[in-house]
Amino acid sequence: MPLVNNKVGDDCTLSTDKTLADGKTLVDSLIKVVACYRNLASCVGGCTDSLQLRDDLRQTREKAQKLAVSTCQHLTSHLRDKSLPQEQRRELELLWVAFSSSLELLHVDMCKVFSMGDIFCLANTTALVQTGLQGGGSEVAARALSLPDLNQAQTPADGLENQERSAMEKEISQIDHMIDDMEMKVNVLRWMVEPHGPQYAEPLSSTDSASLALLTVDEEQPGHQPLCQRSRIFVFLLLFAVVLVAATLSVCVVFFS
Amino acid sequence: MTVIFVLVLFSYSQIAFCAALIFQSVSKATCWHGDLCPLPAHHTQLISPYVPYMQAEKVLLEMQDPKKGVKSQPQRLVITTIPHAITVCALYSNSFFPMLSLARQLLNSCSGFLSSEARSFGSMLVALGYIYPLQDHKRLVIKPDASLYRFQTPYFWPTQQWPVEDTDYAIYLAKRNIRKKGILELHEQEQYNRLHKWMNHKWDFIVMQAKEQYRAAKERKKPDRVVFDCQERAYWVVHRPPVRTHTHTHTHTHTHTDSYQTCTTYTGCRLLPRVKSSVSIGALVKYCATYNSHDPFLSKCLPSNPWLTDDVTYWTLNMPNVEIPTKMRVERWTFSFGELLSDPRGRDDFRLFLKKEFSGENLAFWEGCEDLKWGTAVTMREKAEQIYKTFLARGAPRWINIDGKTMEITVSGLRHPHRYVLDAAQTHIYMLMKKVSKHTRSDAQLEQNARNRRPSLSPIILRQQELEQRAKMAASAPVDITQLCRFTTPVSHLAVYSGFTDSPSANASPSLPFVAPTPVCPSPISVALDSNSASERRAEAGEGEAERNPEARAPAGGNVLKSRMALSLRRLLKRGCSPSTMFASLSPKGQAAAGTSRIQPLCPDQPSQAPPRRTGNFFQIKVDIPPECRIYPIESEDEEEENRASSRGGVGAKEIICPWESLTPQNGTG
Repeated sequence: MPLVNNKVGDDCTLSTDKTLADGKTLVDSLIKVVACYRNLASCVGGCTDSLQLRDDLRQTREKAQKLAVSTCQHLTSHLRDKSLPQEQRRELELLWVAFSSSLELLHVDMCKVFSMGDIFCLANTTALVQTGLQGGGSEVAARALSLPDLNQAQTPADGLENQERSAMEKEISQIDHMIDDMEMKVNVLRWMVEPHGPQYAEPLSSTDSASLALLTVDEEQPGHQPLCQRSRIFVFLLLFAVVLVAATLSVCVVFFS
Repeated sequence: MTVIFVLVLFSYSQIAFCAALIFQSVSKATCWHGDLCPLPAHHTQLISPYVPYMQAEKVLLEMQDPKKGVKSQPQRLVITTIPHAITVCALYSNSFFPMLSLARQLLNSCSGFLSSEARSFGSMLVALGYIYPLQDHKRLVIKPDASLYRFQTPYFWPTQQWPVEDTDYAIYLAKRNIRKKGILELHEQEQYNRLHKWMNHKWDFIVMQAKEQYRAAKERKKPDRVVFDCQERAYWVVHRPPVRTHTHTHTHTHTHTDSYQTCTTYTGCRLLPRVKSSVSIGALVKYCATYNSHDPFLSKCLPSNPWLTDDVTYWTLNMPNVEIPTKMRVERWTFSFGELLSDPRGRDDFRLFLKKEFSGENLAFWEGCEDLKWGTAVTMREKAEQIYKTFLARGAPRWINIDGKTMEITVSGLRHPHRYVLDAAQTHIYMLMKKVSKHTRSDAQLEQNARNRRPSLSPIILRQQELEQRAKMAASAPVDITQLCRFTTPVSHLAVYSGFTDSPSANASPSLPFVAPTPVCPSPISVALDSNSASERRAEAGEGEAERNPEARAPAGGNVLKSRMALSLRRLLKRGCSPSTMFASLSPKGQAAAGTSRIQPLCPDQPSQAPPRRTGNFFQIKVDIPPECRIYPIESEDEEEENRASSRGGVGAKEIICPWESLTPQNGTG
C-alpha cells in the first residue's frame, strides 16, 4: 500500500514516505470505521434496535471522531507545507479527497442517526419496524473498534438518552466545523486529482460471493412461482382423489366380477 | 359391463380434473386484472411534496404493533428463513383501513375488489419505498396475491428527504460489482461508467469504501446479509429506477417529487392547444427560411456585419428614424403586418399612408391601446378616458368604426377600466389595418426596393418610368380618374407611398370606356372601416368579385361635385367598403385582372354612392396642409351623417352609457 520511493539515503524522502504511509493508514482506518458506522446505522429503528446498538454506535462514532481529528491535523499540516515535492503533494491530495468524502459520509450518517433517535424511542419497543433482521451489530462494532472480542468493549454507559443526544449534537457540529476548516485552510483542486485505483473493485473471494448468490434466489426472474401455490396444491389433491376413486372402482370391479 | 362402468367413471374423473385446471387458470387470469399496472394517474395526486410523511410513518409504526398490527410470516429461501415478510392480505386486513370494514369480508380469499383508497395507499407505500417487494423487486407495485413484502428499514425511509447522493449510488454499484463478479445489468453498467467519469477524483475512495462496507456486512450472519442486500437494492430501485425500454405502462418508480412534477406537467399539457408536429415543424421551417437572409450572422449583411468588422454603417443605416429604409428592411415589412408595425420606420410610413386614406385614427387608436396595455397602472384610468373621448364616444373627434358588439363590450368594460379593456376593439382595428396593408404593402415594398436599388437615378427618370408604366396600364385597363388625379401632383415628401399611389392603375385618358351601372362598388380609398361584421362578410364574399369590377368605380366619376365627394368620402369610409376592391384597383395586379374582364357583376349589397376617390385626390393635392386640419372640416359636415351611421350601424338604438361626464359633440377643431 504505501508508495515506495526508490531514492535511498535521503532523510527528506524517507520522512515524506512515512508521512504518506501514515496518512494512508489513517485514512484507511477512517474509511473502515465509517463503513461500519453506516452498517450499524441502518439498523436503527428496526427490530434489532436496542441499547446495545446505540452504544455500539456511540463508540464507533467516538472512534471515528478521534481518527478524523488526527487525520485532519496530519494532512493539513503537510499540505500547507510549501516545500513538499510534487508527487507527494499529489498523493496527499488524493488522500485529502478520500478523507473529505469520508467525513461527509460520516456527517450524513450521524445526522440520520440523530433524527431517527428522535422518532424511535427505545422505550416503546412495539413501534420498532420489523425489518427482518435477527442479529445485532456487535460483530460490526467489534470490527470498527478493532477489538478481537466484544467483551473487551466498555460496558454500555447508563447515561441518559439526553446526554447522549447532546453529545451527538456536539460531535455533529464538530465534524461540520472540521469540514469547513479543511476547505478554508487547504485548497485542493478536485479536478486535478487523479486516482490510482482500478475502475472496478475486484471480487474479494469467490466462495463468499457464490454463497451469497445462492441466498438471493430470485434476483432476475419475476416471482411467479409462489403465485398460485394453494391452487396448485388443490389441483394435485383433486387429481389424487380422482385417481384414488378410479383405482378403488377398478379394484371393486375386478373383485366383484 | 363393469369395464364400461369403470371407463365411464374414469372419463368423469378426467373431466373433473380438467375442469379444475381450467377453473384455476381462469381464476388466476381474473385475479385483479388491470391492477398490476401501478397507480393510475389520479392516484398520483396523493404523492406530492406536501404529503405529510409523518402521517404515513405514523401508520407504519402502528402497523408494527404485534397485536394489532400487520401479521407477518417467515420467508422461506433455499438455505434459510427470514422473518417479517408480509402479504398484501395481511397488509390490508388490519384495523388501519376502516373503510374496508365491508370489503374485509371479501378479502379473506384475497380476491375481489379492494376499495380504491386502500389500494392507492398501499401502492403509495411501495412506490415511496416504505415497503419493498421481495419477489419481482424491480416493479414497485402491490400485487393482491401471495407475493411477499417487507418493511424498509428507517434508515432508508424517504422522510425528511435526505438527499440521495451519487456518491452513495456509486458505492452501491461498486459493491454490487464485487458481489456479482463484474456482471452488472446494462443500466447499472452505464450508470457506473457515467459516475466513474464524473466522480473520477474520488474513485479510489469509492472503491475502498465499497470494499470496506462489503467486509463489514460480511461480519453479519447470512440471513441478515440477505436482508441488507434486499433493503439496499430496494432503496436504489426507488431512487435510481432502472430505465425501461419495453414497458407499456408508466412505472411508478419515480420519487415523490418526480411524480408530482409529472402529474402537473401532464395536467398542464392536457390544457395546451395541441398542434400536429408536422404543422408546427412546417411553420418553423418556413420561419427559418423567411428570416434566414435577414439574419446578419446566418447570411451576409451589407455593408458589413458590425459585430465582426467594427464598422457601424449597418446600424446607422437601420436606425429607427432613418429617412430611407434599406431594402432588406422593407422586405421584412412584407413578411407580416406585425413586422411592419413593430418597425418604427414602417409604422411611420403606414401612419402616413393611413393619413392619406383618412383612416389615421385607426393606427392612433391602436397605439393608444398599446400605450394603455404597457403603461403604468397609475395612468391607466386617465389613458382609458382619453382614448374613449378621442376615439370611441359618439361624436368623438377621431371616431373609429368598430362593430356594435365590440363597441358594447368595450364601453361596458370601460366602466371599470383595466389594462386589457380595449383588447377587443384593438384586435378589431388591427385586423382591419392588416387587411389594408395586405393589399398595399407589396407595391410599397416593390417601389421602395426599386428606389433603394437604384438610388442614383434622378427623380426625373423615375418619373418618366412611372409615366411609361402608366401608359402601359392605360392600354390594358380602363381609366381610373381618381388615380389619374393623384399623379398630377406628385407628393415628394411622402417618399414611400408616392410610388405606390403613382404606379398602379395608371391611365392617361380620363375617358371612360363604359358607363357603370348605378350600384357602384364603394370607394377604393376607404380603408375597410366596416361598420359591422356583416359588411365584413360581404367584403370577404365580394373579394372574389372585386378583381373583376374595379372598373365599376371608374365610371360615374365625372359628374359628382367636389363637396359631395367630401361627404361621401367620409360616409364611404364609415360604411363597410370592401378593402379588397379598393386595393385591387390600386395594385397593378388588380388592374391586370380588371383588364381581362369587361363584365362588371353588380354588387347589390354595396351602397349606391358615387366613388369618392376623386375627393381623395382632391385632398391629396393639398399635401402641405397637415392632415389633421383636413379631417376636421369634413367631420363637422359629416357629423350628422356619422351620428346617423353610428346609430344605424352596429350600435343600434342602445344608449351608450358614458362612464364619465356626457360628451358634447365635438366641433371641427377637436
